[in-house]
Amino acid sequence: MKKLIELNNISKSFDGEKVLDDISLYICEDEFITLLGPSGCGKTTTLRMIGGFEQPDEGDVIFEGKRINHVPANKRNVNTVFQKYALFPHLNVYENVAFPLRQRKCSKKEIDEKVHQMLNMVMLNGFENRRVTNLSGGQQQRVAIARALVGHPKVLLLDEPLGALDLKLRKDMQVELKKIQKTTGITFIFVTHDQEEALSMSDTIVVMNEGKIQQIGTPTDIYNEPKNAFVADFIGESNILDGVMLEDYKVRFAGHVFECLDAGFGKNEPVDVVVRPEDVDIVPADQAELYGDVTSVTFLGVHYEIIVDICGFKWMIQTTDFVAEGERIGIKLDPDAIHIMKKSKYSGMFGDYSTFSDEMDELSNAGGEGEV
Amino acid sequence: MKKVISNILTALVYIFLFAPIVILLIFSFNESKSLSVFSNFSFRWYRELLKDRHTLEAVRNTLLLAASATVISTIMGTAAAWGIDRLRSRWYRGFMNTVTDIPMTNPDIITGISLMLMFVFVGRIFGARNSLNFWTMLIAHVTFCLPYVILQVLPKLQQIDKALPEAAMDLGCTQVGAFFKVELPEMMPGIVTGAIMAFTISMDDFVISYFTSGTGFETLPIRIYSMTKKTVTPKMYALATIIFFVTLSLLLINNFIDDKSTRKGGKKAKKAKKAKKD
Amino acid sequence: MMKKSPKQKLGRGNAALAPYSLWALLFIIVPMAFVAYYAFTDNNFNFTTENITRFFTAVSNVRNEDGSIKEVHTYLLIFRRSLKLAIISTIVCLVVGYPLAYRIARASKRAQQTMMTLIMIPMWMNFLIRTYAWMTILQDSGVFNNLIAKLGMGPVRIIGTETAVIIGMVYDYLPYMVLPIYSIMVKMDDKLIEAARDLGCGSLSILRRVIFPLSLPGVISGITMVLIPSISTFYISQKLGNGKFFLIGDAIEGQYVANNLHFAAAMAFILMVILLVFMALVKYYSSRYVNGGDAK
Repeated sequence: MKKLIELNNISKSFDGEKVLDDISLYICEDEFITLLGPSGCGKTTTLRMIGGFEQPDEGDVIFEGKRINHVPANKRNVNTVFQKYALFPHLNVYENVAFPLRQRKCSKKEIDEKVHQMLNMVMLNGFENRRVTNLSGGQQQRVAIARALVGHPKVLLLDEPLGALDLKLRKDMQVELKKIQKTTGITFIFVTHDQEEALSMSDTIVVMNEGKIQQIGTPTDIYNEPKNAFVADFIGESNILDGVMLEDYKVRFAGHVFECLDAGFGKNEPVDVVVRPEDVDIVPADQAELYGDVTSVTFLGVHYEIIVDICGFKWMIQTTDFVAEGERIGIKLDPDAIHIMKKSKYSGMFGDYSTFSDEMDELSNAGGEGEV
Repeated sequence: MKKVISNILTALVYIFLFAPIVILLIFSFNESKSLSVFSNFSFRWYRELLKDRHTLEAVRNTLLLAASATVISTIMGTAAAWGIDRLRSRWYRGFMNTVTDIPMTNPDIITGISLMLMFVFVGRIFGARNSLNFWTMLIAHVTFCLPYVILQVLPKLQQIDKALPEAAMDLGCTQVGAFFKVELPEMMPGIVTGAIMAFTISMDDFVISYFTSGTGFETLPIRIYSMTKKTVTPKMYALATIIFFVTLSLLLINNFIDDKSTRKGGKKAKKAKKAKKD
Repeated sequence: MMKKSPKQKLGRGNAALAPYSLWALLFIIVPMAFVAYYAFTDNNFNFTTENITRFFTAVSNVRNEDGSIKEVHTYLLIFRRSLKLAIISTIVCLVVGYPLAYRIARASKRAQQTMMTLIMIPMWMNFLIRTYAWMTILQDSGVFNNLIAKLGMGPVRIIGTETAVIIGMVYDYLPYMVLPIYSIMVKMDDKLIEAARDLGCGSLSILRRVIFPLSLPGVISGITMVLIPSISTFYISQKLGNGKFFLIGDAIEGQYVANNLHFAAAMAFILMVILLVFMALVKYYSSRYVNGGDAK
């Protein structure tokens, strides 16, 4: 695939606070790429840099091989769908979509044709003369998409575009956006803090925190092979335990030695071990590798989410079989349920469910003051 | 370059706005009577101003009138705003809003003439030869102050969560108690701003006062009018300088209070802004 | 027991509103009726249209510059002159005030506060004093002429000209133009400007296609707030026009001083009707075309 945009060693500070710290990344043609991270991680700033609303303090923004650091937004072949849509309240739906075409002095016929084509695509025919202020959130969203796409940009930037919609509408729009991306073949760069959204829509996910890129990869890579405790915790639920790599394919944690699929660590190297809640098997006591007491059970429809105390460490386990609170159960881990990560600065911060609510606080703090 | 030009033009407008004031200020300290050549620094015109009994009386009258008009219009206007906010009928509400707009959009001269005509007519019925006095002026001032109070209080009322007084009553307040404990404190900023506006507008008014004042009661603007009608003396400059510094300090105090109250909420706002950045 | 029925609550609201309703009736609505009543009656309060027709038909002789004498409709001439000076002043205020408001709204928060305070200071000073200050500046032997004499230019006669009246009006009412435009501009969402840039607009087309249309409500209220006082003023023309340029306000005031209340009322009535029609038109067009993409 051809590289369309490259960000090389970009840093940016606001009022002395470092928002982006030496970021490098490339984006290919026809790709749906998501910048994912908690608020304050620098994802919106990265997007605004590609859009031309911010200039990097250091580093280069390259577009089709040309350095565009100082090219203003109106001279870039990139359009944005803004967080709260930023529709022009003094123009109706038609005129909002026609806005960029009128700027290019297109002919009346061409404008009419393109606007209708776009409104067709976002399923808003018949809304031409409506005031944008009288539209629902979902409809405003569609107008914003139509307006950004009508000029056929090479790249569409979407800044948390689904944040203001309710859950049901959000799911529908996710599917629709993906469809639009496929049919138009335009590169989408999508910013969100919602990991599910990222997993379901993207070709590539860029996980960011504290102004740094934590991991770049496909959704399955990111979920199955998180690089550090932050990524493991931010994407999905995970139990993260301290472990020691005894030798290749052998790891010890929770007082037991397990077989695993990971190799290439030093002998007796301390590591972080990730076990996803859905990968834990509950088994009869005679087959069990570990034992624990069930401290809480929550019914979530498809499955139960149970917290199990195993030697003082609280595990989260998802199971379709009912277990009672207070019951003693045995569990077993297959080698492919275990993922080994190198120790990082996030080790020990996440992945223990003993203080569930505290952990949530910490996560949001890590977001809010993350730039420090 | 563009920025330099825009800064120069902006500065020119401000010079235009302040040149006359600065000139007033300088020549109020001029010893001679000349309004174009500055001879010597002196307080002569200030001394003469303080000796002018009519002017001092006019100041007293102005303050008395403004204070009375402010008290009446603030109380009546607050009650009116509270009543308008409660109106269910859209027609009645629209009508009240239109009526409230009339004194604000009508030129002062028409408001003044219309009140004067009525006062004169009613006075004639009662056989009064001179029907314009302090009371007619007070009525006129209350009339044009009322809309300012209402328009300051009404938005504050509309911001109040309608569940708040109900919550207070649910927790044991009487309806009157709920009003004083919940609604009034929420309205207070609007009431205070409205009262300040009423006071300053009443003090400043010339045109309406001119048409509704009798011979016995002279306010400062009317005094200024009659002073400037005849010869020009730097005594006026001294008066203007004093008025300038009084308004300036009032504005600065007002800004200071504003600043303090925004600073209280400032931390929150900064945090929110930070969160917005990403 | 404490729960009131909605009707009782409404009753309290009406009770609070009653004094103001009565006041508004007596001192806002009835006086307006009195203007009409006086306008259409003679000194003995018999019905007549004479005062109204006098406004449209009264004639007087004016001397042209070449010395010839011309007959003109006195009050129509005065009204036309008032309208002309008011419109010119409004345009000047708009041309100066709009960029200024824009400049202030784009400044930092701190600078905005200072700049707005500076705009407000002259506004809070009595307009008699403001006007009077200009009178002493523009006098034949005033500061302005002294200044240009020092620069080696001859004295310019400004006082007593229409220019002086316009300067006075612009000076007195400029803040009324800046204030509403500024308050709309400062609330304008920066994202809209970013969106316009994103969609291909340069600075000039952003101004033309986004900022100006969005600020129109402020422009309209600025225009009415300058036009209405400047069309009806009488002090400015007396002081700066040296009483040579009678405006409609001067005519009304003059008749009031002469105790010709019925004719004063007739002129006030005509002015009121014209302004009402003007305001209604503004309201109609602004609700239709401003901020309303609705073609319905």
